[in-house]
Amino acid sequence: MEIPNSAAADLARTQAEDAALAALVSQYAGALYRVAYSVLRNPADAEDSVQEAFLRVLRHRDTLGEVRDQRVWLIRIVWNIVLDRKRRAKTRPETDDVAELARVLPCDGLSAEELAAAAQHHAHVLGCVEKLPAKERQVLQLSAFEELNTVEIAQVLGITESSVRSRLFRARNLMADLLNHSRSIR
Amino acid sequence: MNSRSQDANLLNSKSGTGSAIVAGSVEASLRLIARLPAPEGLEDRVIGGLRTVPRTARILHWPAALGPTGSWMRGAAAAAIVFVVAGGGWGVYTRVQTSQPSRVIVMPPRAGAGGGFSSAGAMRTPQTLNGPVVANPVAAEPDKKTGNAQSAQVKPLKKAPAQIAPVTSGPMHVARGRNASSQTTTPAAK
Repeated sequence: MEIPNSAAADLARTQAEDAALAALVSQYAGALYRVAYSVLRNPADAEDSVQEAFLRVLRHRDTLGEVRDQRVWLIRIVWNIVLDRKRRAKTRPETDDVAELARVLPCDGLSAEELAAAAQHHAHVLGCVEKLPAKERQVLQLSAFEELNTVEIAQVLGITESSVRSRLFRARNLMADLLNHSRSIR
Repeated sequence: MNSRSQDANLLNSKSGTGSAIVAGSVEASLRLIARLPAPEGLEDRVIGGLRTVPRTARILHWPAALGPTGSWMRGAAAAAIVFVVAGGGWGVYTRVQTSQPSRVIVMPPRAGAGGGFSSAGAMRTPQTLNGPVVANPVAAEPDKKTGNAQSAQVKPLKKAPAQIAPVTSGPMHVARGRNASSQTTTPAAK
């Protein structure tokens, strides 16, 4: 048996892996950040989650060639990280208040009052989303990404496509009830 | 996208009016969050962080002496490893004693309680134990003629045993002393 014994080959392989990883980062870091931010609503935590996801990729870089859909695979990794973080930080107070939301939301042609009203509305909606059961909430959050269709959401969550549809249907009904209920209280 | 249109149909199928509008506003809020751009320089920071990670899990290569040209040395090393492992195993096998079979005490079968009387847990007391202690032993009065201690109430024995222990003081030998005095006085009475 012949054992390759060349440091040059190792160096070339390492450089190739680094280049592939850098390409992955530049291609998917934004999408992963948006996935993380939509759940955590904290820019620093979302960026940390993206970093941790690529660290996991670095640890399993030998199996990168076996991955069929790298985008869904990466989203699944960051999704698990985000859920884990959120579970651990359950007691921490929510950082997404109205002022923070008004700061990050786009303000195209909106006055300050309109922007504040929109931020208040979105904060209320997002607060209602947090009240949903976990399964329905996760499907609803993932469905907001235009990059993901139902099949890909099913792959990320590890469930069937029909389950995604039924959960999405339940989530929308629950959200409608929640928002109607809060509106009637007002 | 097909699934997208199905999702849209799902949304519209919810009673068609107010709740669909409400659900649409929910989707709009979530999409607004989902469309937020990533911060500037995120990729650079992530790549920079990945470069600082130490890459410890690397494949260890054989030394140059154990390369393709030194296959004999690799064989010798393998033989040495086999020898050490086998020798160690043999040493352990010869030193470790086999465990002795445990002693099993066979208990005699209990007598069947088929209608008989039981001992009710009473135990036989062996005769080697000390006897009862007399609190106030009767003092023997010495006879004036013979000088032997004799009690007036003691009847003389007709026939004395051949071997009789001498009378000694002490509560344990009171009864025996009485007998001895009677025995010694028997010839004098005759």
